[in-house]
Amino acid sequence: MADKKSQDIDLHTTETGFRYHRGSALSIFKSDRYEDFIALACALLIALGVFLLLR
Amino acid sequence: MVYTRKHPALFIIGLLLLVHGALIAGGYMGGVQKYLNIARAAGEMTNFSYIFGAVAVVAGLWHWFGSHREGNLDYYSSSIAGGIFILFVAMIVKWYLDPWVGALSRGVGPVIPGGRFIHDVFGLNYVVLGIVAGMVIVNVFSIPDWAQNGVRLSRLGLKSGVILLGTLYSLAELANLGRLSVVMIGIFVLGSVGLVLVIGVQRKISNSMGGVLSAGVGVCGVSAAVAAAPVVRARSEEIAYTIGTILVFGVICMFIFPVIGHMLNMGYIQFGAWAGTGILNSAQVAGAALAFQPAGIETLKVAEIFNITRVLFLPIIVLWLAVWYVRRETAAGEVGVQQVDTTRVIFEKFPVFVLGFILMFALSSTGIFAPAQHYQGRYFDNTRVAAARMLNDNEVATLRTESSKLQREDQKGALNRLIENKKLMSIDDDDVLRGVVNSGALSRDANAALRKAHNAVYHTAPMIAAFRDWITWLFAFGLTGLGMQITMAAMRQAGGEPLVIGSTVGVVKAVLSLIVVLLFVRETI
Repeated sequence: MADKKSQDIDLHTTETGFRYHRGSALSIFKSDRYEDFIALACALLIALGVFLLLR
Repeated sequence: MVYTRKHPALFIIGLLLLVHGALIAGGYMGGVQKYLNIARAAGEMTNFSYIFGAVAVVAGLWHWFGSHREGNLDYYSSSIAGGIFILFVAMIVKWYLDPWVGALSRGVGPVIPGGRFIHDVFGLNYVVLGIVAGMVIVNVFSIPDWAQNGVRLSRLGLKSGVILLGTLYSLAELANLGRLSVVMIGIFVLGSVGLVLVIGVQRKISNSMGGVLSAGVGVCGVSAAVAAAPVVRARSEEIAYTIGTILVFGVICMFIFPVIGHMLNMGYIQFGAWAGTGILNSAQVAGAALAFQPAGIETLKVAEIFNITRVLFLPIIVLWLAVWYVRRETAAGEVGVQQVDTTRVIFEKFPVFVLGFILMFALSSTGIFAPAQHYQGRYFDNTRVAAARMLNDNEVATLRTESSKLQREDQKGALNRLIENKKLMSIDDDDVLRGVVNSGALSRDANAALRKAHNAVYHTAPMIAAFRDWITWLFAFGLTGLGMQITMAAMRQAGGEPLVIGSTVGVVKAVLSLIVVLLFVRETI
């Protein structure tokens, strides 16, 4: 048998056949709230950049 | 498991982007750009191609020749391939497919009065085309193995776009709207959203399906559905169903509404109010208004006011859906628990990015990005019109010569004030003279002068324009990626129930709003 790696314990499969061990079928992040914070950080960075460049 | 695939595809995409950027910068694509009418996007096309081409080449070489081991670095860096793949498809759609469809459509000519083309009527823009392109890729060709992990980045793009969407609206604009439109739209927006949610629960569709459908049917169509989708954690096929329902229903309404309006002998205000309330999608509201009154702008103006009003309800609906969804999901998960602790649930599960959307809306309302009375970045200001943008002597002479062609007193007054001051003096004058242009009563030169006067006093806030660009690209990225997750099997599984519910509520809303308009709306124009 091939080596059983820790990430392979809890594998899921999307409808397109992709196998993953973390996140969900719609996200690579470990939870929706974590994804929210990343999105918030991205948006705030963009807003700050636009504000500083164009004020 | 190791996520990174040793594959040359990402490197090749990077090379293609760099070559594309060089071709645009070198002017070798001038013919194509002219045919597609995309010359204005040349700067964006060059910069994006170079930046993401360079990223793809570097990351592609790393993926292809690097050594990859299980861990966070492998997990997250492998998603670059899928992210660039989505972006590559989104670029093709936005830069070439969308303008090409527009060019073909314009070649056919207007299909309804008011100069509306096929792609306007069916709402064939980058949003719809991006989803369709994604669906074609996943169902016909399948997602390549090396891109699978990164395709799951699409919802992040969508959420970031929704947060920035808040910058386009302001409270001051809401305060400027008429009381009639606020009351009427408020009742119908909240009523439609509530009705879809109630029917959805009774018909046992998923909470996420009901949530996204209610926003689409209740607020302003496709953009509202897109904004609400991550709030209620909607699946890709649920978003596709909602957008499909809205567009099909909207197209049917756009043809039927003007016929009914003329049959009932409705006035401009009545029809504008009805179209702005009863038709689900913004693009089709304008189409119906122009079809009803091709030679004037009064109907379009009223319809736009009602349409803007319901768009401004979006923050309220987003908040409502967030709380509703969290409560429903929690109640479903805690079988036997009679009372849901709302405060705790909201604190634990409320989608944080919605707060970002509200924060941006609040910031925009303070006037930090643009004058507070702006709507989607456009605002009226005749105090700072450059001398070159004021009417010149020739234009004034043309307008003076043709002023006798106008019969209505309000039109004569507005034109005289424009001639006297060489610039528009109020929003009302601008509205009246837009109607003159639309009616075709004056010569081409005179209409050109009126358009110049209009453009001189309406300004686009640079920051909001930049936010719009970001939002457009984040949505193009997010929706193309979501399209790549919609399999035909999933669509079959979702069934036709959303179409039935959406259409039912749409018909109820159209009929009730017609009755209310006929009973309570009186003509004042």
